[in-house]
Amino acid sequence: MSGNATTPLSSVRHERTFPRFTAAQRWEHAVLLLSGLVLLLTGLPQKYREFSISQDLLSTPERVELIRQIHHIAAIVLALEALYHFGRIIYLMSKRRLPGDLLPTWQDVRDAGHMLQYLLFLRNDKPKFGRYNFEQKVTYWFVFFGVLIMGVSGFIIWFPVFFTKFLPGGVVPAAKLAHSTEAVVIAIFILVWHVYHVHIERTNLSMFTGRLSEEEMRAFHEKEYERLTAGQIKATPGAKK
Amino acid sequence: MGVAVLLVSGGAAVSEAAAGSRSEPEAAVWQSPALQAENDTCLACHSQPGFSIQLESGEPLPLTIDPQAYAESTHGSNDVTCVTCHSDIEGFPHPERTAESLRQFRLDNYTVCKNCHEEQFNLTLDSVHQNALAAGNTDAAVCTDCHNPHTQKRLTNPDTGKLLGYARLHIPQTCAQCHSAIYDQYKESVHGKALTEDGNLDVPTCTDCHGVHNISSPVTASFRNSIPFLCAECHTNNALMQKYGLSTQVLNTYVADFHGTTVVLFDKTFPDQPTNKPVCTDCHGVHDIARADDPNKGLAVRENLLARCQVCHPGATANFPEAWMSHYIPSPEKYPIVYYVNLFYKFFIPAVLGPMLLLVVMDFSRAMINRYKKKAPPPPVESAAETAQPEEKPEETPEQPEQAASLEAEKPLEEEPAAEPPLEEPQIAENQEEPSTAEQPPAESEAADESKSTDEEETSHD
Repeated sequence: MSGNATTPLSSVRHERTFPRFTAAQRWEHAVLLLSGLVLLLTGLPQKYREFSISQDLLSTPERVELIRQIHHIAAIVLALEALYHFGRIIYLMSKRRLPGDLLPTWQDVRDAGHMLQYLLFLRNDKPKFGRYNFEQKVTYWFVFFGVLIMGVSGFIIWFPVFFTKFLPGGVVPAAKLAHSTEAVVIAIFILVWHVYHVHIERTNLSMFTGRLSEEEMRAFHEKEYERLTAGQIKATPGAKK
Repeated sequence: MGVAVLLVSGGAAVSEAAAGSRSEPEAAVWQSPALQAENDTCLACHSQPGFSIQLESGEPLPLTIDPQAYAESTHGSNDVTCVTCHSDIEGFPHPERTAESLRQFRLDNYTVCKNCHEEQFNLTLDSVHQNALAAGNTDAAVCTDCHNPHTQKRLTNPDTGKLLGYARLHIPQTCAQCHSAIYDQYKESVHGKALTEDGNLDVPTCTDCHGVHNISSPVTASFRNSIPFLCAECHTNNALMQKYGLSTQVLNTYVADFHGTTVVLFDKTFPDQPTNKPVCTDCHGVHDIARADDPNKGLAVRENLLARCQVCHPGATANFPEAWMSHYIPSPEKYPIVYYVNLFYKFFIPAVLGPMLLLVVMDFSRAMINRYKKKAPPPPVESAAETAQPEEKPEETPEQPEQAASLEAEKPLEEEPAAEPPLEEPQIAENQEEPSTAEQPPAESEAADESKSTDEEETSHD
């Protein structure tokens, strides 16, 4: 627990903050964000070739090759990050230290129902969330499976000769379709869901600062806040994203 | 095709009426007696069989004209006389010829065609043949290599400008005079066999793909990039393809798949870009195109397709050809994996992203409504606290010292007006409205108050 604001002074503001993401997790997010952005920007023109901007970008074989190489490099970066992430999950599981904060629970379903009622003006209070609310869990798992699908399908269409040595040939066009469609699904998801929740609904920069202020904790993660302040556990940044 | 037309078009001697006479060549008479007399003068000598002179090269220059064949030709039947072309001959003795060889003789004389057939002549100036000639290849075809002016019959329908049936059938032989190796391939191909053996007029003959007078080089990048559209001219023609039970989806499936997308892109942007992606002919062959089910070359035969794949994808194994959907549109029978992936996303996207979008819109709306409500009704801190979360900060931060979650629940209710502390803490008081709203009368905030209290109650329960 890092906060130390015990007496508010009129001139100096002591803000108590709670650690939320470790530096490693924030680095992971940064790598994911950057590589994902590069992949999206180099992938979309390849998918939507009928647009003039794509045609300008891909007008020569050299440029097609260049765009593909950038895409492949970013793909390797993201693949390494995903491997690290899986590796860490497995490591923590082996040590029995994997926090289950991100696992979906029935409480999330109830929270979502509660939230829906709130949004429909059927009740006036928002649900009180734990360390991660259902929206954040949806984000994690959506991206988790999205990256998995993109990675697997991407490598299949990158190395079709290799994969068809032991897989039926039909997986290649299927992977191409999945890759191309899932990419747009993730992009829309990030734009609509994630950007809304971390930038428009409120500016939540904890993925960059690593911390949430006390107000934020109380407003958005009240259960977690209560748990922490009740001294039940030590506020360690989640060992897992 | 238009360029293929009208061998006789430009000629001053040509008239519509004369064109009709083509059908009764037997008459072997000139349209006007005067012209016939003129030709007869020439034919007095030039109809003698075996009439020739020897050129310097040793080759004989045949000088015999078959009057019957000439009369049946499009020139003969359209009042083109000997001297229309041989305009330098006015009597006997003829002017001396300087050509040393037969070939040279032909090259010296073909330009006379331009006098009447200027359009076609000019088109040839852009052709691969003319370029070769300019580069010094004297064997490159000129007008009279394909069209014998003394026997050439009309090739096109004068009304439609389309090739007449016999002309279509004859063209491959014309080209074969030089391109015999290609003709040998062509006549064994699915197209060539149909044309040469069955007299099928639907299949492409040489000029359908290569053009006629302005035949372009078929080995340039731009020609290559345009091949899919060339083939598509017939292969997306529904009426034509139905006749043979062929798919018209070949172009769009090609464009949608790995290979075609790049080729088509280059064709659109910079058609001169060479591409390493295959076009139709790379898999199906050029002049030796076979039926898909041909046991030796047909691509519907797995081994044949694999061999084609391996040309560009060395190491490809038996499963690999299936990676190419062979112009099929995925269905539960053909490429079910692709079909079901597509089906999955068809439902997944609206079913998952739709509600997400809806939730976000609802969330945003509710936040906006709350903000609006908060602005309007006066007891500002109150409503602010209860509506948009961030607004809670102002009241709650001051309580921090107390740290008691339970206390906080009741406190704001009573203390708010007094608690007003956000003013002291400008940096967290994100809602700048606070000061102004604070002055408003607390009257109409009941609704807000209620919700607030329920909110707080719940809080304290937990």
